[in-house]
This record gives sequence, C-alpha cells and structure tokens, in this order.
Amino acid sequence: MRQSRRDLVSWVGLEILPHEREVRRWLRKAGNAAHDVDDIVQEAYCRFAALTNTAEIENGRAYFFRTVRNIALERARRSQIVSFELLSELDEARLANDDPSPERVVAARLELGRIQNAIGSLPQRCREVFQLRRVYGVPQREVARLLGITESVVEMQTVRGLRLILETLARGEQAEVPLESRHESATARRDDRRGGGRLGGARRQS
Amino acid sequence: MTIDEEAAAWAVRVDNRDLDSDPCPDLERWLQGDPRRRGAFIRAQAALSLIADNRVAGALQAAEPPVRRPSKDRRRLLAAAAGGGMLAAAGVVAAVKLSPADARYSTGLGEIRQVPLADGTRASINTSSAMTVALRMRERRVVLEKGEAWFQVAHDAKRPFVVRAGDTLIKAIGTAFSVRQLEDGAEVIVTEGLVEASCKHGVVRLAAGSRLRIGPGGAAQAAVKPDEIASALAWREGEILLDGQSVEAAAAQFNRYNRRRIEVDDPALAKERFVGLFRTNDPAGFAAAVAASLGADVVETADAIRLKRKAPEA
Repeated sequence: MRQSRRDLVSWVGLEILPHEREVRRWLRKAGNAAHDVDDIVQEAYCRFAALTNTAEIENGRAYFFRTVRNIALERARRSQIVSFELLSELDEARLANDDPSPERVVAARLELGRIQNAIGSLPQRCREVFQLRRVYGVPQREVARLLGITESVVEMQTVRGLRLILETLARGEQAEVPLESRHESATARRDDRRGGGRLGGARRQS
Repeated sequence: MTIDEEAAAWAVRVDNRDLDSDPCPDLERWLQGDPRRRGAFIRAQAALSLIADNRVAGALQAAEPPVRRPSKDRRRLLAAAAGGGMLAAAGVVAAVKLSPADARYSTGLGEIRQVPLADGTRASINTSSAMTVALRMRERRVVLEKGEAWFQVAHDAKRPFVVRAGDTLIKAIGTAFSVRQLEDGAEVIVTEGLVEASCKHGVVRLAAGSRLRIGPGGAAQAAVKPDEIASALAWREGEILLDGQSVEAAAAQFNRYNRRRIEVDDPALAKERFVGLFRTNDPAGFAAAVAASLGADVVETADAIRLKRKAPEA
C-alpha cells in the first residue's frame, strides 16, 4: 500500500535527516570532494522522495548509508575513477550494522540538540517567528498578531529560519551540546565525550 | 538562490497542505523543472516535520543547554505561546514521551507546568524555571537550575529524594516542599513531612509549616502560617494570592510571570497593603483593582502598566 506523503516526510525527518551529517562526514572520509558529497546526498534524498512505503525499512540510518554507497559506486563506475579508499571505506563493516543501536539513537538526539542550537542562534526576529510558528505550531496569523508584523513577514522569516537550519544540518559547525538523557551529561563538558567511539555523531569533522 | 533555498520557501509555503489530496500546480511545475528538486523539497519538509513533531519538541526541550540562559525575548515568546495553551500542551506530551527516568523540564515566562515524575512524585514548576530529574536506584535527584518548583514526594524510604538548588541540598523521604532559587541563595518551604536542608552554613531539619531562607550571610528559619503558605504556593494553580502584601511586592510577583511589567510610580502607593486573588497572567486585572480601591490611575503602554497616584482634580 502506498504510504501518504505526510508519513513519508515524517519518516525522512525522524529516520534520515538526523544522520545526514554523519553520512556526509563518512562520504568525505571516503575521498569524495565536497561538491560530490552534496550531489550524492541530494540524489539520496531524491530516492527517498520516490519511496512508496518505508514500513519495511527497519533502520533508516543503515538505509541512508546503503543508499549513498550505491550512489557513490554508480558514480564511480560511470566516471571510471575508483579510489581504493572509496572501495574499502564503502565496504566497511559499518554498513552491516543494521540493528537498532544506541549509537544511532544517540546520534539522532545529538542532531536534535544541534537543531535546537541552530534555532536558538537564529537572528532575533527570525528566531521569534520560527519558534512560535514551527516549534509551537502557532498559526501564521496569530504569530503576526503577537509580534505586530504582517503575515508575509512571518512567512519570510520562517523561510529564512528554515534555510539556516537546513544549512546547519548539512554542515554548520556550531558548538555541540551534549544531550544524552543521562543525568550527569546534562552538565558534562563537551570535551568529555571526545573519543567515545560509540558517540559516532558527536565527533567533530576534522 | 540555491535549490535548497528554493525548497525551503516551497516547504514553508505549502505548509500543512495535504499534497496527496490537494496538489499544488505551481509546486509541481517547480519540481518538474529539475530532477534534484524533489530531493531538496522533501528534505526541507522533513526538517519542518522533525521540528514540529512532538517527540522532537520533547527532545528539544531536554536538549536545551543548561548553561545558556534563554534570552528575555525568547522567554517572552515562549510565554506568548503558552498563553495559547500550545506550549503547555506540547510540554505535557514531551514530558510523557521523554525517557521515564531522566528528564529536563523547563518553563517559559508565565508558564506553569504540572509534571508527574515516574516514581509517583508530583512536581509543579513555576515560571521561568528549569530542572533536571534523575531517578536512580538509590537516590532520586533533582537539580533546580533556576526558578522554583514544588514537589509532593512519593514515599520511598530506600530512595531519598534530593533537590539541589545552587549550594543547597534538600533531602526528603516522603513529604511536600517547594524550592526557589534566589539571586543569592535559595528558599525552601515545607508543606508536609520533614526535610533536611544542607548548605555551606550547616544542616537544618525543617518540619511542615516552616520556611528556610539561605543567603550569603547564613540560613534563617521561620515558621510560616498556613495562610502564608497558601499565598506562597498559589502559583501552582496559576494564581497570585495577596494577603496584605505591599503593592510593590505584588507588582514584583506579577512581573515574574508577565512580559508587560507593572510599574508603581509613586513610593507611597508602592507601600500600600493589598488583598486579593488574581490569575498570574492578569496584571491588568490587578492594576484595575488597585486603581479602584487605592485611588490610583492606570496608564497602559505596550510593555508596561503604570500605576500612579490619582492626580488631584483641578
């Protein structure tokens, strides 16, 4: 049965998007140039957009990695330039890791923290609008009324906010916020988590 | 404009429109113009969906960095959203969906939250507050980062319930008490049972009906009458109960909850005593009541409500 567009969007949001940065890092590490990484990720999202049913996909993160690997391999074959690095990286055991792991959950939560940070550091008016409109779901007209601005300004600022957040999801390197649910970590120093191999999503891009 | 930028504009424009049953021809045209656009578009929509998703709202709330104080504007906005009940609704969902044992709760300006904790303890969190809760095998720990909270602690002799507010630790076994973090210390009011408070000045046992104020100079314990407790904790019902407080002190209370501040322009008027029960979000009602009973004029501006002595009639 074909899944609704809305369910597909929600699935991409929860299962794919939070892993994008990790996927990008991995593609870079595998020797892809920055613009190639953009293209590969772009293509992966096109394939997700064409999915008719995601119910069979158990692990979005692994699916994301598999998808970009396939795209990278297709491109490599087409261009007939296949680096050893790429091939060896692409066959990494990481891809076998299909089980729902704590790492995957932690990476996703870290990404949510980054989104929260990104929202928090939007320019003031943009942030006000974006929070009301998108985080708390206040109707556009109501946001306009509360802030004493026109609805078109609300829309414009929301678009602006979303652009900056999309940018952050791809590469923004703001301070990372620890946000495991474990109580101590709420106040733990960022440095403490360095080198913790399980926190795949937490490490910084080198 | 890049594809991602255009996609963001489309995602915002179509908003919640159900594209399955209500397709958008302009959007379709844009999508067909370049095969890559479908990917960028679903990505932009997915980001909005992720942010709006309640599960995420919960995680976002939990993710709020404790060190960074939200700006005034932000709190004001959160309060504005709370006024519509939306934040409150999102908050409750978030509280339920977060990990049952560990969680961070925060409230915006004017927002008051009732939170059932996983151990059966009931917590009420006052305006502009934040706390983290960690329920452990041997201990239940709460860190009040800022603001005020009241706890009706579920009895569990094996797991003491400990609240930390700055340097002060408050330990309870089965009891009800409130903790408020002040600029230079903390205040504890015990409504049931017994608690033990420890701070750099020493350890104090507090019984129901007592209040402890901890400041830089020391800790002072005092008995509080039931009326005073009712007044001090009326916020749990979203109320401000004035029982002979000065107009100035009452104004300060309203200003804890509202962006529109009450300003008392006359020193004599500020010292007048006042009695009444108000909603925390109704500073205008309070001002009107003061004006009517104490003979003051109310001047309302966008961000303040000023109380002045009535000008003598010419």
